Amino acid sequence: MIRFNNVHKWFKDLHVLNGIDLQVAQGEVVVVCGPSGSGKSTMIRTVNQLESINEGEIWVDGKNVADPKTDLNALRAEVGFVFQHFNLYPHLSVVDNITLSPIKVKGMDKAAADKQAVALLERVGLAHKKDAFPAQLSGGQQQRVAIARGLAMEPRVMLFDEPTSALDPEMIGEVLKVMKDLAESGMTMMVVTHEMGFAREVADRVVFIDHGKIVEQAPPEEFFKNPQHERAQQFLRQLLTPMS
Amino acid sequence: MNYNWDWNIFFKSTGIGSEIYLDWFVSGLGWTIAVALMAWIIALLLGSVLGVMRTLPGKVLPAIATAYVELFRNVPLLVQLFMWYFVVPDYLPEPLQIWFKQDLNPATSAYISVVVCLALFTAARVCEQVRTGIQALPRGQSAAALAVGFSIGQTYRHVLLPQAFRIIIPPLTSEFLNIFKNSSVASLIGLMELLAQTKQTAEFSANIFEAFTLATVIYFVLNMSLMTLMSLVEKKVRIPGMMGGAK
Repeated sequence: MIRFNNVHKWFKDLHVLNGIDLQVAQGEVVVVCGPSGSGKSTMIRTVNQLESINEGEIWVDGKNVADPKTDLNALRAEVGFVFQHFNLYPHLSVVDNITLSPIKVKGMDKAAADKQAVALLERVGLAHKKDAFPAQLSGGQQQRVAIARGLAMEPRVMLFDEPTSALDPEMIGEVLKVMKDLAESGMTMMVVTHEMGFAREVADRVVFIDHGKIVEQAPPEEFFKNPQHERAQQFLRQLLTPMS
Repeated sequence: MNYNWDWNIFFKSTGIGSEIYLDWFVSGLGWTIAVALMAWIIALLLGSVLGVMRTLPGKVLPAIATAYVELFRNVPLLVQLFMWYFVVPDYLPEPLQIWFKQDLNPATSAYISVVVCLALFTAARVCEQVRTGIQALPRGQSAAALAVGFSIGQTYRHVLLPQAFRIIIPPLTSEFLNIFKNSSVASLIGLMELLAQTKQTAEFSANIFEAFTLATVIYFVLNMSLMTLMSLVEKKVRIPGMMGGAK
């Protein structure tokens, strides 16, 4: 479904992505983790070309995203993206946030889009908030709406860029729960996160990235029990006992 | 000071036809509004396009918009007006020149010049406000819009501009008022708007203080009403939960 072939990216002199090779199969849930500045957010943003790449290829659903001939708007419509800071449209109500792109990009009629939005809001547990505005919601609620907004385009893949990092601790669970349900429904997902509980429970594979390189990838049991790479061992130690 | 105030002057005959002085003020106010509103509509449209251009990726379009702003913002309004009225018509193609100078009645050609002048001058200022409004938005907004498959045009139309315009209503309001005040330059090329009628009344009647007092009051009331109107608009489009909007 997603395939990185030797992907490189530079920000001026900084080599952010240094030869990424990665495949994500249909229905697979891949968690990407790594220290801050390792390039994990940049990497996930290259999948729908919110960040361009300098070298290599990224194939999504059989299309090379770095090819100038690829219709990026059409591709992005099939790839849901959930941001760390939610990025809901503040001037639109919850339901309009969800229906805007189905109506404007896919040409869905308003009644059908509204019906779909309400169904999605029920799925994320927020049907009662459909007429609220983003600023009236908690962070966890906003992020659940953002997930519903992504799903409204009926994407083939969902990308999550640190979806819980901007949330208060007591709101993280509600968002992870929605993501877990989504994974169980068979959605292909790529998730950048530090929530190791989520990785352990939901991921099919954990990818560890450092200095723009994938240094380790393994099923979660293996990754947590017996990390091979020294940097990964150190990272896990610090997550588990941050004060030591 | 020995001055005989005479507020009845406005109801006295001007000596021209059956007109009283108040008629002159009413007609002057009509021209002022006609000039300012028309120029404002053009300025708002053109300024928005230029403002968007300044925020687009790439080099050429932003550079064109920036050059426009610098040109029209750094030359005094009166100089611009004289250019549009006295200089530019001489460089028009011949048929257009004859039409402008001979076929049009003088009020219409002055009207066209002043509307073009005020519109282009104010567009440069609107451009800067639209640009800052767009740039004030979090970068995540355009990323979110692009990520669902919107084109650049749709991103501006549905996501960026509705937010940017809400932010800039207060400075736009002051630009809207400025255009009414700036329209008084039209009196210098013979368009009989409010200020020109005031001067004419002062000269004809010698009641100079009354004439200018009335003009002051009319400008003031006009601008206060526009300001009230705009703050109603601002309240109406406020986003619930944000910036003092309804909870």
